[in-house]
Amino acid sequence: MDLYAPRKVYTVGEITAEVKRSVEALGIVWIRGEISNFKHHSSGHMYFSLKDDRAQLRAAFFRNSNMYVKFRPEDGLEVMVRGRLTVYEPRGDYQVIVEYMEPVGLGSLQLAFEQLKERLRKEGLFDEARKKKLPLLPAKIGIVTSPTGAALRDMLRILERRNASLHVLVYPARVQGQGAADEIAAGVRYFNTRDDIDVIIVGRGGGSIEDLWAFNEEAVARAVCASRISIISAVGHEVDFTICDFVADLRAPTPSAAAEMVSGARDDLKATVGSLARRALQAIRLDLERRRSKLQRLAASRAFQAAPGRIRELQQRFDEAALRLGECVRRYLAAQRHRAQMLHVRLAKVDLSRIVALSARALAGCRNRLEAALLLRLEKERSRLGRAAGRLRALSPLAVLERGYAICRDARGNIMTDAARAAPGDLVAVRLAHGALDCRVQSIREDSDGSQDQGL
Amino acid sequence: MDLKIKDFESALQSLEDIVQQLESGGLTLDRALELFEEGTRLSRFCSAKLEEAERRVELLVKDAEGAWKETPFTPGPEGAQDR
Repeated sequence: MDLYAPRKVYTVGEITAEVKRSVEALGIVWIRGEISNFKHHSSGHMYFSLKDDRAQLRAAFFRNSNMYVKFRPEDGLEVMVRGRLTVYEPRGDYQVIVEYMEPVGLGSLQLAFEQLKERLRKEGLFDEARKKKLPLLPAKIGIVTSPTGAALRDMLRILERRNASLHVLVYPARVQGQGAADEIAAGVRYFNTRDDIDVIIVGRGGGSIEDLWAFNEEAVARAVCASRISIISAVGHEVDFTICDFVADLRAPTPSAAAEMVSGARDDLKATVGSLARRALQAIRLDLERRRSKLQRLAASRAFQAAPGRIRELQQRFDEAALRLGECVRRYLAAQRHRAQMLHVRLAKVDLSRIVALSARALAGCRNRLEAALLLRLEKERSRLGRAAGRLRALSPLAVLERGYAICRDARGNIMTDAARAAPGDLVAVRLAHGALDCRVQSIREDSDGSQDQGL
Repeated sequence: MDLKIKDFESALQSLEDIVQQLESGGLTLDRALELFEEGTRLSRFCSAKLEEAERRVELLVKDAEGAWKETPFTPGPEGAQDR
């Protein structure tokens, strides 16, 4: 090196300007690296370093450029940036001014989706516990969608086909492009200001991830989450999942499916109400039938009480029993008649006259059978009593006296069967068929052969 | 029974309860009939509710003052641009 040649001396400023010129001569460059020391300044500008295993590079991503980035740059994220290199002269640092950034690996929207999903999940916005149940029978539904879109047409077609008695109110919102998310969110909030909306459906037909993007934006997620009205999210096709789907109370795979959800329950409910009404009728029928057969058993068991042993008691007990039974049956039948009338009146009110007529006929039949059974039993017992009384009469000592025999009793009232036991002068009483004689014994005659009179 | 019927869901719930009571038995005849009458009233209410809602489609349109107004709506023809 020639130490004596004329020196070219730069000031710091001059050399820095020189470096800056040559660095900036690189023009627009693409750089790949991992983000570290990420700072999102309150001004909206982002400052960070890009690094790999050999070097680091300062980077600035100003607000007017970074506002179009859907995902959130963060430490550790590997990205590709497009920008211009420059030198920050006051510090002599060289840095890249980023104009565009995209993640390495995932697409930018995909990453944004995953990031927002993770963030909202951590906040608990997807928790099943905070999700509202759909009303059983929505009468008025609010739909937030494009009034000219295929989704709305599909939904209305389903409701038409279902013949669903639903009042549909459409909030017109753009469902793609800049500002769409805000319009959708506004629609959800608008329906929440009304008190006549039972369910909200937000949705649109299928499309690319860019087309569906509005439903992945935080504004929509927040509005859906804050809704006090149940929300069905119906975005795109079955395979499309959006943030809105996760936050909504219910996800419909397609807009048509959402229409099925709000109208289909009606058919199920019609079937449920019908079957409950049938079960109530069946239960009350069974109940009446049980009571009728109980009445029959009661009547039958009273009539079959064991016959009394002794004849005198028989008469009394029979009369009492017959009286009691008759009274009891009368009372029971009167009560049943009264109830049947009440039943008739009530059932007539609910247009069930057929089963009432049936019940009344059955009750009348039962009453007739019961009365017939009672009469038959009374007749049977009466003739049984007659026969028993006849036998009693045949055996009665009075009947023997009718035939001319007499009974002789001593002074103590003992029946006398042996003349030897009496003495002349004793008083004896002689019982005849009609009346009695008081006699005095004059003499005693014993049977010569000692045999008894066979006539007695 | 003068139970006030409030909404479809509670009416349906009451109807289910009544049917269960009727089916489990053990009620006096009067009580059973009372329940049956109430059940019939509830099922009529539910059926009426199922039929009652209006079939109507309306579109919200902003009026001159910027307030939303409801207007009758029929969907456009097939193949509309904006999905």
